[in-house]
Amino acid sequence: MTTPIPLDDEAIRLLRDSAAAIAPPGGDFRRIRALRYHLPGIDPAVWRQIGELGWLGLRVAEAAGGAGLGVQALCALARELGAGLVPEPILAAAVIAPLLPPATLAAVLDGTRIILPAWQERANSLDAASASVLHDGRLSAHKVFVPMAACAHGFLVSTRDGLALLAADAEGVSLTTEPTQDGGHFGTLRATKALSTPVAGALGPALEEATLATAAYLLGVMDRVFALTLDYLRTREQFGRKIGSFQALQHRAADLHLQIELTRASIDAAAATLDAGASATVAACAVSRAKARAAEAALLVTRQAIQLHGGIAYTDEYDAGLFLRKAMVLANLHGSAALHRARYARLAPPEDADDD
Amino acid sequence: MTDPHAALDQLDDAGFRALVRGWLRANYPPELRNPPHRLHLAAARPWYDRLAAQGWLAPGWPREHGGMGLSAARQMIMIEEFERHGCARLPDHGIVMVGPLLIQHGSEAQRARFLPKILSGDHIWCQGYSEPNAGSDLASLRTEAVLEGAHWVVNGQKTWTTLATDANWIFLLARTDKTARKQDGISFLLVPMDSPGISVRPIVNLELQDEFCEVFFDNVRVPRENLVGAVNRGWSMAKALLGFERIFLGSPRQSAYALARLRRLAEHVGVAEEAGFIERHTRLRLDLADHQALYEVFAARLRRGEVLGAEVSMLKLHQSELFQRITEAMLEIAGEAAGLLEPMAGNRDLHPSGLFIQARPTSIYGGSNEIQRNILARDVLRLPG
Ligand SMILES: Cc1cc2nc3c(=O)[nH]c(=O)nc-3n(C[C@H](O)[C@H](O)[C@H](O)COP(=O)(O)OP(=O)(O)OC[C@H]3O[C@@H](n4cnc5c(N)ncnc54)[C@H](O)[C@@H]3O)c2cc1C
Repeated sequence: MTTPIPLDDEAIRLLRDSAAAIAPPGGDFRRIRALRYHLPGIDPAVWRQIGELGWLGLRVAEAAGGAGLGVQALCALARELGAGLVPEPILAAAVIAPLLPPATLAAVLDGTRIILPAWQERANSLDAASASVLHDGRLSAHKVFVPMAACAHGFLVSTRDGLALLAADAEGVSLTTEPTQDGGHFGTLRATKALSTPVAGALGPALEEATLATAAYLLGVMDRVFALTLDYLRTREQFGRKIGSFQALQHRAADLHLQIELTRASIDAAAATLDAGASATVAACAVSRAKARAAEAALLVTRQAIQLHGGIAYTDEYDAGLFLRKAMVLANLHGSAALHRARYARLAPPEDADDD
Repeated sequence: MTDPHAALDQLDDAGFRALVRGWLRANYPPELRNPPHRLHLAAARPWYDRLAAQGWLAPGWPREHGGMGLSAARQMIMIEEFERHGCARLPDHGIVMVGPLLIQHGSEAQRARFLPKILSGDHIWCQGYSEPNAGSDLASLRTEAVLEGAHWVVNGQKTWTTLATDANWIFLLARTDKTARKQDGISFLLVPMDSPGISVRPIVNLELQDEFCEVFFDNVRVPRENLVGAVNRGWSMAKALLGFERIFLGSPRQSAYALARLRRLAEHVGVAEEAGFIERHTRLRLDLADHQALYEVFAARLRRGEVLGAEVSMLKLHQSELFQRITEAMLEIAGEAAGLLEPMAGNRDLHPSGLFIQARPTSIYGGSNEIQRNILARDVLRLPG
């Protein structure tokens, strides 16, 4: 394995600048609103642009045609996407790209083919272990909660016999969707003896990265909705004063700021841990810590954003609600706070080990 | 005149409860049980009409005005049974606010004109208080009414007006004296929604329903006799009604409804027996039990005929936040379903994300929770301002 390129300020700035093309920093959500509650829920032209920006190969080694960047870069990108509420499943596609066979990879990297992971078989689970079967090049599988599945041309499917690459239009494949609060959807994927290609490798590390990237996306959600809220506190007047001058609201804002910074520190630490090549257990603990924090903080910050705005935030026209809905969808995706705390408790070394 | 409700007085509380429960089973439209959203008038009409025909629309109004004249305790029993049965909330501003207002402050002519129409369901009311720049600071409202001969001429804008598209009447706070202290220049007007110059724009809310609206007034002429009480005395009447609304919003019903759903959701997702869930659920359950006890303290004061003071803010504050905490617990245990737009597949009755969103504005409307805390600190605890 090649060591990822360390992420310096310059690399982060470049990522941020390129993200501005997809997620305007000023927060223009017309594109996001127009895509809501329709299938496939993404814009294919934007997906090709995403390919050109090199994001889909962010985790793919340079020798294989990618950017060779690390998890810290992935999280920096995720934060930008979250701040822009970008609906395209870039992160899910990017974390599995390094696993794809060369023949498939080229079309994935340039944005002509969208391949998404399909791993989950039960609700509320982090477990990639699978009852799906790959036998003689035929896949039988039942996968649930595949975000934005309707836009995928194919899926990288976990089975008890290893990974399998499945075309969405292969015979024996069916996909149903359920709309989600943010305007996207979850797919339920069923394959019955569908023609499929075995793929070497394991999904575990990619799922850890996807979990951490989800936390980083939530951090972006928090950053942007908090900025929107601070603006409102600075401009809205009641009782002849800016409402941001009321101490009760100042204290609330200070508490939210604290939670956002705890989340940022937790994510940065976890990303550095993963980039340093930590053991699976150490990596899992760091990721669980970050996701538990991000899930809880994102719901807190988005709820309070509504409260601090008053009536206007209870309208669909006002953007604050878009962030609340996104947090509702992502808080439990790749594991709820409770699920991650439970995993942490199971895997972490005993507390007195911290004392040395 | 015979008293249609006299028979109720013969029953003890248990008998009264059984009567209400039996009547609901026989008469409540089954398709309207536990609606996922607040119903528009057209959908709620059969239920409104059935209650009207039974004479049960206004449990709290005195009997001489067509109400049931029930004690607060009996009203609670009705509320509990309606909740247990999953009855939809009606467009009830006429019953809950305009009726009590007119009974207390209206003229004989206004009572005779409006109360029967509320009871028959001919008049559906909406509440025109808030404006874009007058929310928490309601007294700064700017919609104005100027007397021109026999009419008040109204200009301005109201907003967040719940179910304004369903209503044919609006009760309005309008400025009638711009020179006085802001609380002393406000009057209470009753305005037909079909008056020339009124326009309504529905606003899609976070539940993606068009439940509340903006209402615009452009030289709307309102007959002089539609002013309630004395000119420039609207503020104190409105405040009294807000107190009334706060008891109503402090009723444990939303939390009780949500807690039952939390339990069912836990069973559905298989965490009901986990220690972490039991601890969290029990905490919420005890919060609800204690809330009910506190609510009963206030209800008992009402029964004794006492006027409730600023402390009633506690009820609304605790109820709304308890309701919200319950729905937050639902979201956390729901797993991925926390993000679903529709009720959970296989169990239409379970819609954690929907209930979570519905719980959000309870700490905003009826006086935001920040304002309730200010009231408690200032008017009850007498802390320095
Ligand atoms: C679902 C819904 C239905 C409604 N229905 C109706 C209706 O039918 N008719 C009607 O007239 N109105 C209605 N309202 C309006 C409601 O009464 C107002 O939203 C509420 O009074 C708050 O006003 P605002 O929205 O202007 O918020 P603002 O007053 O601008 O408040 C913004 C934030 O500042 C805080 N704040 C304000 N002042 C202070 C202070 N002094 N100290 C500390 N914090 C402060 C608030 O608590 C809030 O968090 C409805 C609102 C909602 C959400």
